[in-house]
Amino acid sequence: MRTHKLCMLGDFGVGKTSLVARFVRSTFSAKYLTTVGVKVDSKEVALPGREPLKLVVWDIAGRGALDGVGENYLRGASALLLVADGTREASLASALNLLMQSRRSLPNAVVALAVNKLDLVDRWEVAPATLAELRNTLPVFETSALSGDGVEAAFADLAARLAP
Amino acid sequence: MTSSGSGQDSREPSADAAAVVSDLLEESPPPGEFERLRELLLGEERRALDAARARIAELERTQDNLSQRLPGALEALADEASTTRVANALAAPVSQALGAAVQRNRQSLIDVLFPIIGPLIRKSIAEALRNLVADLNGAIESSFTLRGLKWRVEAWRAGVPYAQVVLKHRLAYAIDHVFLIERDSGLVLHHEAAPGLPELDKDAIAGMLTALGDFVGDSVGREGGGTLESVRVGEHLVWMLHGPRANLACFIRGVPPQALHGLLEQRLEEIHARLAAAADEDPRTPQNQTIWHEALQPPALIQEAGRSAESEQRKSPSRWPLLLIVLVLAALLFAFLLSRERWQARVDDLRGKLEAHPGFVLNGIEAKPWSRLVVHGLLDPDAAPLAPLLDASAFGGVEPKLDATGYLSTDDAVVERRAQRLLQPPAGVRIAVKDGALNLSGAAPQAWLDTATERAGWIAGVARVASTLTPEIDPVATARAELQRLVREFPSTQVGFLDDATPADDAANAVDTIAREARRAIELAKIGKVRVRLTCVGANTEVGSGQTNQRLRAARAQWLALALAARGVGGTDGGALATDGDAGLNRRVAYLRLTVEDTP
Repeated sequence: MRTHKLCMLGDFGVGKTSLVARFVRSTFSAKYLTTVGVKVDSKEVALPGREPLKLVVWDIAGRGALDGVGENYLRGASALLLVADGTREASLASALNLLMQSRRSLPNAVVALAVNKLDLVDRWEVAPATLAELRNTLPVFETSALSGDGVEAAFADLAARLAP
Repeated sequence: MTSSGSGQDSREPSADAAAVVSDLLEESPPPGEFERLRELLLGEERRALDAARARIAELERTQDNLSQRLPGALEALADEASTTRVANALAAPVSQALGAAVQRNRQSLIDVLFPIIGPLIRKSIAEALRNLVADLNGAIESSFTLRGLKWRVEAWRAGVPYAQVVLKHRLAYAIDHVFLIERDSGLVLHHEAAPGLPELDKDAIAGMLTALGDFVGDSVGREGGGTLESVRVGEHLVWMLHGPRANLACFIRGVPPQALHGLLEQRLEEIHARLAAAADEDPRTPQNQTIWHEALQPPALIQEAGRSAESEQRKSPSRWPLLLIVLVLAALLFAFLLSRERWQARVDDLRGKLEAHPGFVLNGIEAKPWSRLVVHGLLDPDAAPLAPLLDASAFGGVEPKLDATGYLSTDDAVVERRAQRLLQPPAGVRIAVKDGALNLSGAAPQAWLDTATERAGWIAGVARVASTLTPEIDPVATARAELQRLVREFPSTQVGFLDDATPADDAANAVDTIAREARRAIELAKIGKVRVRLTCVGANTEVGSGQTNQRLRAARAQWLALALAARGVGGTDGGALATDGDAGLNRRVAYLRLTVEDTP
């Protein structure tokens, strides 16, 4: 089984850890995020008609920009899942900023954007037009860590694109 | 909708209330009007208040039954999610309540826990003792084996207790997991686990290890490029070995030998050699997995590490320089001690000689080995000099110095030397001192005898004087005195004549006497270191002429000379005896005259 490293990137409080918790059964406590700055989990993803694939998910502590430690954590990653909070438009800008930074070291990584907190869609600040515009450049998934909507789809999309 | 409706309802009572209030101000209202007014003004609030009261009463009623309903409610928790939720909700207060209960009533907790903890403790102690007994058995068994002796030698060489070495060799360790991790991504390239261990998320663990390594390296080793080498938690140890493309993480229980670390380094190098040889190849191919498996399986690693450790112990190449250094140091130490011993022996030898030296009292020797030597003591001026004794002592170029203070010794040898110096005895005198008694013996001139007898008793250290001295005899003087006597006596021994030149009958006896005395005189002259002259003298009576008498005297002197010569007496120079005449004697005799002359 092939294994790929996937890094979760996004601003503080956008729901990265919740998305990972929804996606995998965690081995390590979330306290590592505040101490070491990262928490690693893994999950096998079944792909229809193809060999299953294992994603090693690096949940990197939320921040608006990458520092030295954060860049180290990105090394060797094959996929990036950018996470933004739909109720905070600024978090979308942070996610895109993180994408720009990570492109320097990971030019070939596959990327997807998860706009989280779909359960609070009536309070979203991110306009549908903005998302429509973004969909022209990268896959965008509207997700809810609370309900689980769109979570599997986002990870499955990345896995499908990683699979040979 | 709801908000607008309620607004209309509120406005209508307010208008009625205003009318009622106006009526009340104009006249006194009947009693029923108050109730109506109250209803108009406070009806809404009263209804809300009644509802609240009813709700409170219901809640109180419910709470009264809570203790009865709660067990049933908890038992009714059917699904796991509900149970977990209740457990989570109760965790904090229950924990707090337990803490408070423990603080308030420890004894009750002890009473409850004691029956549980006691057996657990006993079981734990029994297990520990069993292990200890097993270790002791192993140690005792190994004490009488070749391996035990080797361990003893190892302990002796390492300077550690034997038990420590036994424990080191007997300590078991186990390798639980070996991770081969891609350096950049932190993904697992290969994983080996000991049999029987539960499954774990190896990718997550490898990722976290990589993240921890990055975190530590970036946090504390940024400038020095340091890396996380090992982590120890309790009995568990994680070794991290870093390579350019892959890292090894080894999870160990117990105390591993250093040889294992070296072996892991070697294996990581071999893996990198393989990775470099197949740089374009995926390191996760089955072929590579087989290679990684053979290189990293824990039982093989433990076995190989054990062999390496034993091999290193057998080789021990680095022991020889150490042994050589130890030998050199031991030789230097031995030489130093020997040198000190030799020095001390020489000092002791000198001390013995000094203590035995008459006229010297040794107070001490100040000695610094092969550097300085000073002798302190009391020295009698009449004692034998110490310089030859000091010079004869070999101190390797160190010249002994003498720090002496004068004193008078009563040692017999010194007193004897003192008597010799003061009395200055002649050659024929012997001086000896024993137990303070001065013994004088031999012969000496009388003058010296007189002086010595007077001074001997005053010599320091002489308790009494014992003398057997005799006056000395001078052969020269004696011989000269004897010669003088002979000079006087020779004329009285005369040879008589009957007529002119006819000797009397006893003339031969007289000549013999004269000849014997003449020879003695010649001997005495030799002793007395003088020259003697022998002259034969003839004499006559006054009858006859002067010429006749003179001829007669000469004839008689000549006869005596011939007679003496016939008896072996010649002149002192070996020639014929001189002759002379004695005209005044008036007798018909001849005699021998002796004349003594000093040696020129």
